[in-house]
Amino acid sequence: MSRTEQHYPREADARWRDYEWEIIPTSPMHPAMNIALDEVLTRRVGAGERRPTLRFWGWDSPVIVIGRFQSVRNEVQIENAAEHGVQVVRRITGGGAMFTLPGLDITYSIYAPPDLVKGLSFPESYAFLDSWVVDTYRELSIDAWYAPLNDITSSGGKIGGAAQARRFGAVLHHTMTSYDMDPKLMMQVLRIGMEKLSDKGLRSADKRVGPLRQQTNLPREAFFHALTERFMDLTGGELGEISNLEHQAAVELVRSKFATEEWTYLLP
Amino acid sequence: MHGEYKTPGGKLVVVDFDVHDGTIVDPMVSGDFFLYPEESLDQIVGSLVGLSVDTSEEQITQVVANAVPDGTELLGFSPEAIAIAVRRGLA
Repeated sequence: MSRTEQHYPREADARWRDYEWEIIPTSPMHPAMNIALDEVLTRRVGAGERRPTLRFWGWDSPVIVIGRFQSVRNEVQIENAAEHGVQVVRRITGGGAMFTLPGLDITYSIYAPPDLVKGLSFPESYAFLDSWVVDTYRELSIDAWYAPLNDITSSGGKIGGAAQARRFGAVLHHTMTSYDMDPKLMMQVLRIGMEKLSDKGLRSADKRVGPLRQQTNLPREAFFHALTERFMDLTGGELGEISNLEHQAAVELVRSKFATEEWTYLLP
Repeated sequence: MHGEYKTPGGKLVVVDFDVHDGTIVDPMVSGDFFLYPEESLDQIVGSLVGLSVDTSEEQITQVVANAVPDGTELLGFSPEAIAIAVRRGLA
């Protein structure tokens, strides 16, 4: 694989310490709750009602998460997904579809004031906000780097992708990385056309992906531990949790928006 | 009609639409691109409505570019990418 690395001004690293960070560990949740929490926590940070936050995600069921601008029928083999109990949810950020099963991904969101990425171009901000993750993977002997615009990749294939939204007075940056995968099921539930792969020089989509499990003997928990430690070192942040109020707001958003056909099929 | 175009090194743009009386109707622009603010998509999609099927790629590019509100950020795609997808859908 040719190595095109995306960079950002390293002096930006000092900015992480300009804020008091909170780190929320993962717990399995309904797919639509995860998406709803992104909106709730972005709004809360934007309104100054919560400290800048890193949240790790957990899923309680198989899921396809599609980007804000993706069409369901162009991305998902809907009947196959239903047959395999794979839910489809639409997130509030752009970017591409991701498929995962519970316990196979490492996904996190960063909710931050816009000043954290002030003066950085959009591509620079992507590389900056995931730099501590790439550093952690390298520390764990994964040959990883940040590829433009929004991918974490490695000599063993693509590990994950990031997406941002700049809304509600805050920056939302989330990244879904693959610890392990079921490539056969992925090819059954996602629709990945040849045009999408046209500049990749590879014949099949599953060969592009290189989950961490293929490159290491470390258990998934070791990655959460290392990522949490590194983020704490970087920011001086401490562990926190989702408040009852935030949880309730997310439940309400699931009901009114994220679990509705209207939202999921916004682009049919 | 259905046309796709992937900007090299960038993102996929898909345009789905119908043709009625030689013009584009009910267009939908989708893909794995990034767009800030997201509401700009409505203006982009709206600019394709009623275009003649004879409109050239260059003309479509211009129409879409004119419809993109000031201050909009298109990441990984462009008005030209949308125009190419439309022309592919018509081909």
